[in-house]
Amino acid sequence: MKVYVVYCHPDPESFTSAVFQRTLTTLTACGHDVRTSDLYADEFEPTLSLQEWLDHRAPISPPADIASYCANLTWCEALVFVYPTWWSGQPAMLNGWLDRVLVRGVAWDVTERATRVTGRLTNVRRIVAITTHGSSKVLNTVQGESGKRVIARAVRVLCYQFARSTWLAMYNMDRSTVEQRTAFLDRVERRIRRL
Amino acid sequence: MRAVVVVAHPDPSSFTHAIASTATAALERSGHHVIVLDLYAEEFRAAMSRAERVAYHGTRPLLDPMAERHADIVKRADAFVFVYPTWWSTMPAILKGWLDRVMVPGVGFVFDDDQHVRRGLKKVHRIVGISTYGSRRLYVKAIHDNGRRMLMRSLRMNTAVLTRRTWLALYEMDTSTAEQRAAFLQRVDRKMRSL
Repeated sequence: MKVYVVYCHPDPESFTSAVFQRTLTTLTACGHDVRTSDLYADEFEPTLSLQEWLDHRAPISPPADIASYCANLTWCEALVFVYPTWWSGQPAMLNGWLDRVLVRGVAWDVTERATRVTGRLTNVRRIVAITTHGSSKVLNTVQGESGKRVIARAVRVLCYQFARSTWLAMYNMDRSTVEQRTAFLDRVERRIRRL
Repeated sequence: MRAVVVVAHPDPSSFTHAIASTATAALERSGHHVIVLDLYAEEFRAAMSRAERVAYHGTRPLLDPMAERHADIVKRADAFVFVYPTWWSTMPAILKGWLDRVMVPGVGFVFDDDQHVRRGLKKVHRIVGISTYGSRRLYVKAIHDNGRRMLMRSLRMNTAVLTRRTWLALYEMDTSTAEQRAAFLQRVDRKMRSL
């Protein structure tokens, strides 16, 4: 399967980085065709510019710095996000990647007077989000799991209509033990093997 | 009351900015002290840097002078008013980055000895969110209003126990008429005057 992994964490020594590495080795070992983007290493600019805003409804060719991300999006069959959850959602870096890379003509289209977009990423049949939360699962459930819904709903509606989404989350990260973190890495590996 | 109006839109001539001006004028007419943080105008940096991430759990998590100035404003605030367009069911990256980089430990929340998150914004007893959506209300509900959840649940959990919340939404923005937008501005004005 063609898998595109989008990784977002500022610190290469973080646990999220270890999760990303384990995801990659597992995918490669299973024989998948893998492409990756490391948004911090790319020094991606997450803020949508005024010009991009003015052009956002016009079906233009994507700006140079996002063209490769767009190409990967239209290439892949599975889309994997690896990031830490901050304030219940994606870090601004990944949030801005969605704002800027999901452009008209690549990810969606809209007809005149329509109030909702039509997804164009029908090549994406599988979505996986792998994340860590500082706080407990109960607290995150009460807060509404915003980040999960951004991926499993807002992004998924742009993909194949029966696309499956998988949520792999480690809760209580701030109070976790080495054993718990190791167990999570193993869980990621097991789940990715069954992709 | 000291109110902080946080605005996130790339276009200074946008309807979002018209809403922010209306809200600010109405609050000032009611005798409130208003500080406007226009994140695009200030060129606020959205992405948390590696150095900031490493310093996050330390004694001095604010490294950037602009983030520090915003944090000082936040610490003295009694009310927050967020004005932004909803993109991909959530807030623009620049506003998410403001939460990531300004609402750090010691400002937005505090860690207790057991690494549990405790309230950090006890002085804040009012949160207002004003957002525009391209989609219809029912569609927004189906996809989940993730920006709203982050502010009205996740951030709300860190403000005063009896914090009151107000959400003002203009749906179907892209296909709205001038009358509908004018009526919405009037609604913003009425709500803010009686805050």
